[in-house]
Order: sequence, then C-alpha cells, then structure tokens
Amino acid sequence: MIVDSLVYLGESLHGPSASADDVLRALDAAGIDRAVAVPARPPGYHLGPANDALAAAAAAHPGRLTGLARVDPQQSDAADALGRALDGGLAGLFLHPWEETFRINAPFVDRVVAVAAERGVPVVIAAGYPWLSEGLQVGDLVGRFPETTFVATNGGQINISGLGQTDVELALTDCPNLSLQTAGVYREDFLELVIARYGRERLLFSSHFPLFDPRLEVKRGQWLHLPDDVKADVLGANAARVFGL
Amino acid sequence: MIVDLHMHVDHIPALGWKMEADLAVRRMDEAGIDRAVIMTIVDVPEVNPDALQLVKDACDEFPDRLWAFARVHPWYGDQAVALLEQAFAMGFKGLKLHPVSTIAHPGGEDTLRLIRVAAEHRAPTLFHCGDEPMTTPLAIAKAAAAVPYATIVLGHMGGYFHVDEAIAVAERYENVVLETSAMPYPAKIGEAVERIGPERVVYASDGPVCSPLIEVEKVRLAGLAPADEALVLGQNALRLLEHVS
Repeated sequence: MIVDSLVYLGESLHGPSASADDVLRALDAAGIDRAVAVPARPPGYHLGPANDALAAAAAAHPGRLTGLARVDPQQSDAADALGRALDGGLAGLFLHPWEETFRINAPFVDRVVAVAAERGVPVVIAAGYPWLSEGLQVGDLVGRFPETTFVATNGGQINISGLGQTDVELALTDCPNLSLQTAGVYREDFLELVIARYGRERLLFSSHFPLFDPRLEVKRGQWLHLPDDVKADVLGANAARVFGL
Repeated sequence: MIVDLHMHVDHIPALGWKMEADLAVRRMDEAGIDRAVIMTIVDVPEVNPDALQLVKDACDEFPDRLWAFARVHPWYGDQAVALLEQAFAMGFKGLKLHPVSTIAHPGGEDTLRLIRVAAEHRAPTLFHCGDEPMTTPLAIAKAAAAVPYATIVLGHMGGYFHVDEAIAVAERYENVVLETSAMPYPAKIGEAVERIGPERVVYASDGPVCSPLIEVEKVRLAGLAPADEALVLGQNALRLLEHVS
C-alpha cells in the first residue's frame, strides 16, 4: 500500500487549490492508494471551516483520505479549536509556521501541541522554512514533547545547496520521536542517509499535492537505492503506523 | 541523446560528501544519459588547489562520457583568471560559479572578469541559482546585463521559491538559459519552454547525489512536445558546448 502522507485540500489563499476529487484523481494517476490531507490556508483566513470541510471529505472517502487539523497557535482559542477538530474525526495536528507566520519553537506553540500530546495524535510541521521552522527550531519544539510523534515536511530543510541538512541530522539525533517526509527534498542521497543513520521507520513518502506533482514525488520513494522492504516502509507502512491507518 | 549539464565529482570529508566519477557514470547509465558535465563542489584555488586536476582525471577516466566545467573563486584576481585559462587549455567546457561558497556577488567586477574570459572562449557560465542571497535570479541578472555576449546558465532555475523570477529574468535577457536540476516543479519546465522558447531550457540533475533518473523523469512529466523535449534533454547542451575553444 502506498500512502501519501501529506496533500493539501481546499481552496488556497496562496494557490494552487485542490478539491477532494482533484486529490483522488492525482493519487490515481500516481498509483497511490490513500493520503493524509491537511487544509490549505483558505482565502478568508479562517481555519475552522476548512477543518470542518476536510473532516467531511475524509468521512466521505474513508478508505482514501485521512485528515489532520490545522490551527494557528497564535490564536487564543487554538487549543479548543484543535480539540473540536479532533472530536470531529481529524487524526492529528498540522502546523504551518510559514503561512501562519510564527516561530515553531515559540512558547505559545506548546499550548496546542499539549492537546495533541494529551490525545495521543501525531503532529506534522511544515518544516525547513527560513527563520521559522529550520531543523534545529523544529528539534527544539520536538524535544519538549518526547512522548509525541512529530513529522517534519520537506525532509526538514528547504535549501538547494544542502546547507540545512546538518541541522536536520542534529535534530534527528536529539529527537528519536521525529520523522521526515520526502516531498521536494534536495538530494536523494540525503533520504538514503536518513534511513541508514536514523532508521527505516523515520522517513515517510509525501507529495504535497497540489504544490508538487505526485507522479514525480512518488519516484523519490520508489527509486531509492534501498531494498524493497525498506522502500515499502517509506512508501506506506511508516505513514500507516504514524497516522493509525 | 541526453546530456546532463550539471553533475559533481568531489570528496569533501568535512561534509561527508563523496561523489566519485564511477558513481556519476553509474547514475548516468541508470537514467539513460549519454554525456554529462562534471565539476567540483569546492572552488579552485580554495578550498582545493588541485580541483582542476581532480576533474580532469575523472574526465580522462571516462573520456566518452564526461566533460568538465571549472569552478573558480572570483576573489583570486589574476590567479583566478590564470586558473580559468589553464582549465580551457586542459579542455574544460565552461565556468561554474557558486556564490554561496565564494561570497562573490554575480554582479561584482571579480566575477564579471571571469565571465568575460569564459565568453571569450565561447563557453557558458553556470551559476548556482537558488534561494540564498547572491544566488537569486535577480542577482545573477546583473551579470547577464553586464556581459550580454556571455551565456549565463541559471542552475536550478531559482530553486524552490525563485522559479517564477528565473523565468522572468530569462524573458528579460536573451543570454540567460534556464537549467532544470533539483527544482521540484515539472510544470515550471513546461511554462519556461512556453515563455522563452525550447532553445533556452536545458536538462541537468546536480547528480550523482541528486538522482539523474528522477531529474530526467521530471522533464518527461513537463508535457513537452517531442521536438522540444529533445532540445531540453540534450540538443541545447550540445549547442552550448560545441564551439568552446
């Protein structure tokens, strides 16, 4: 089973946008069985309705879509909003420090992560964004919640010189509860290095559709120079475990 | 015929990066690539004063597969010019500049001087063009404007966040060529071909540690007309290199 561990669903302020049908068509075109979806940031800025719409889409496609709740931890009601979204059927927390503009290791982030920790659900972080969610900043937050499972997008770093990779490795070393996603990662040997040094359970395929193309992104997992059973973990088994699929 | 305009051969113990010629050729074979241009990760004369010889030895090992670009540090003035001239005498095909490692602005006189030397040899200058300061398309545009008779190749065509700017710069300056490596958006290759024409977009991988197999697939997914795809994957690179003296 191939699981795409991150797609964006809904109308996006930043573009491009994708409906549930768009997501399912993209998965089919790439031979992907199911996906973990998060709300795009809506043009109206209100994440609550976007979470509700995602929960409805996931409920309508139970074998194919699983949703995570997106909240802005700067909002005073963020912890309550997360609790309501989890009660409504969403399966974890998604934080996007770049689009919501906050530093991932700021103290106020703990309020919402504490809810995820208490409910035993995973936290996915849009990672690698300069100044806001770089590798060691992500690790700083993750280290405060050692019992909670965290997943960093983009291999934890967005840098086409590879300059962020050392900080990500340090975060992986310090935080055994941190895993990485594959979408858009610069250098496939970094993905293979993560497996070799930190374990086969710490890498999850993701496409970030509609920002990236799942037909290409799935190849980052399928064409790793690793044994088939390890690639199967990356392509699906690890996501199934983390998100309880 | 597929030509990869941007691959690396080097050994950097401090970073744990080892990219040998036989690995480059294995990855080329895996992806069906006929010929590739290789260069070091560091610059001559620093950090490796023997960098030119390292690349030449690799080319000599695979004379039917590998060509060389010289990565030269602009700060070294007359010595840098002499090293670039030496490189062309050794059969090198172009100049590579990476302002992240040299901290030399693309529009600075030290850099322009090297670009002029390359142009006098009818050789292209390949810049690392990503998201870091001094590597963005608008920064490199200063060089394209200052030396309009030089061919300026934007390696990575803007990285993750500057791809639209790279296409806009190529529209503005006809001596700018866009190079596809590591940039994660197949559709942007199609957009670039549509906006600036198929003759100024060239395939590259930044391999062997970025997967040439995936990078070729990215071009295939761009949805180009067969004749345009042939230009991007190889014919344009051959044209850029055929008159280097």
